Amino acid sequence: MELDFSFLLSYSGVLLQGLSTTLQFVGLAALLGLIWGFVLSLGRTSENHVIYWASTLYVEFFRGTPVLVQLFWVFFCLPLFLGIDLSGFASAVIALSLYSGAIISESFRAALKSIESSQFDACTALGLPRGVQTIFVVLPQAVLRAIPNLLSNVVSLFKESALVSAVGMADLMYVGQNIANNVARPIEILTVVALIYFAIGFPLTRAVSVVEARLLKVVKA
Amino acid sequence: MAFVEINGLVKRYGALSIFEGFDLKMEATDRLVLIGPSGCGKSTLLRCMMGLEDIAGGQISLGGKEYIEGAEAGKMRIDAKIQKDVGMVFQHYTLFPHLSVLGNLCLAPTRSRGMKKAIARDKAMELLQRFGLADRADFYPSQLSGGQKQRVAIARALMLDPKLMLFDEVTSALDPELVNEVENTMQDLANAGMPMMIVTHDMHFARNIATKVVFQERGKVIEAAAPDELFGNPQQERTRDFLRNVLHING
Ligand SMILES: Nc1ncnc2c1ncn2[C@@H]1O[C@H](COP(=O)(O)OP(=O)(O)OP(=O)(O)O)[C@@H](O)[C@H]1O
Ligand SMILES: [Mg+2]
Repeated sequence: MELDFSFLLSYSGVLLQGLSTTLQFVGLAALLGLIWGFVLSLGRTSENHVIYWASTLYVEFFRGTPVLVQLFWVFFCLPLFLGIDLSGFASAVIALSLYSGAIISESFRAALKSIESSQFDACTALGLPRGVQTIFVVLPQAVLRAIPNLLSNVVSLFKESALVSAVGMADLMYVGQNIANNVARPIEILTVVALIYFAIGFPLTRAVSVVEARLLKVVKA
Repeated sequence: MAFVEINGLVKRYGALSIFEGFDLKMEATDRLVLIGPSGCGKSTLLRCMMGLEDIAGGQISLGGKEYIEGAEAGKMRIDAKIQKDVGMVFQHYTLFPHLSVLGNLCLAPTRSRGMKKAIARDKAMELLQRFGLADRADFYPSQLSGGQKQRVAIARALMLDPKLMLFDEVTSALDPELVNEVENTMQDLANAGMPMMIVTHDMHFARNIATKVVFQERGKVIEAAAPDELFGNPQQERTRDFLRNVLHING
């Protein structure tokens, strides 16, 4: 078997285009997933039974079904329910946000549970209203404590995002497959695609442990 | 009517009953120190007064105004306008770890009392100056000693101009060499005329700072008197037993 990577140069533009698409919808989905995940985690720690069960059911559903099925559902069924056309990009962002929100809420929930009850006592003793308490005391501490896990969540999301190629989104994976079909050189191209994913995912994974060590020093007062 | 009045307080944790009709009075000129064996409900009493516990019965008033009225589970009535005149410092550090010292002091005044940021800052710096902590204003709690943390916690409570301060064993978690700086801060506050209720296991400190000492056991006041009387000439057998034990342990 002869390997020849030289032809790839002429495809570097398309590959970069695919990577840029991947980074865009993963970035957006991660951002929305973080917000949605925090809201869900509040729901899952709520004393209100309806809110608690609704958010729990949601999270368990999205954690308990294949992402691929969720993607297909959002791409093909959701537009029918809403009666509007959704671009592939929008569908990818929606599907991945809904999914990552569920995953991320678990990281936030663990962080919320790790906040000592004495912090809440202090808030009451200082007469902080519920909203102030949530935004200025609970949220920042939950985020700080959750950051290592959240980074892992985002790395996973980045890797799982390759699934959107299955519904025809021109992401990095899809572009790679296309080139492979055109030039009949799947080994080289898929190797390069894997290396690109790795080149971005690996530093993020490493960052997790560095950030973890530093943050724990600050947060554990 | 006394400055602080607790009438018929009923507090239970599930099946465990802590108070069944507990009464206590305190004048505005008093510094009341609560002593008693571990588990007799000293912390619980302060927590009830702060509004941190759901009470099943009784009333608590401050400055002649009732602000907490117990009722069956979940139906306790609490008047936040008066509750905010009570400040509390806890045994375990409760500073907000993600905020600087200044951030800790300014959060409540700016976010829930509508104080301007610049004004809160000035007030905070003034307090820190008074406590000898001005050079720590931008430090984070994790960069402070235990004694400094507790003094910052006291300053944080004072930012809200409380009319009554509650201290629950604020020196118990400290290394012995750090106890003094916190007790001195409390003494300064006492000299400035702040009404306080203090729970402590430090009998020496209790005797110095108190105007009135209350010995409680199993949810009841056994004896209440001026410090010299209670420590010098306790009237009740149980008070004597308790004091003999703690003074023996303290050496
Ligand atoms: N949240 C709670 N749930 C159940 N029981 C509790 C709770 N908090 C306190 N108790 C119980 O109530 C009793 C009184 O507790 P409290 O903390 O008020 O005692 P204390 O006088 O402050 O003791 P110490 O001197 O050890 O601090 C104890 O038996 C304790 O185990
Ligand atoms: Mg206690």
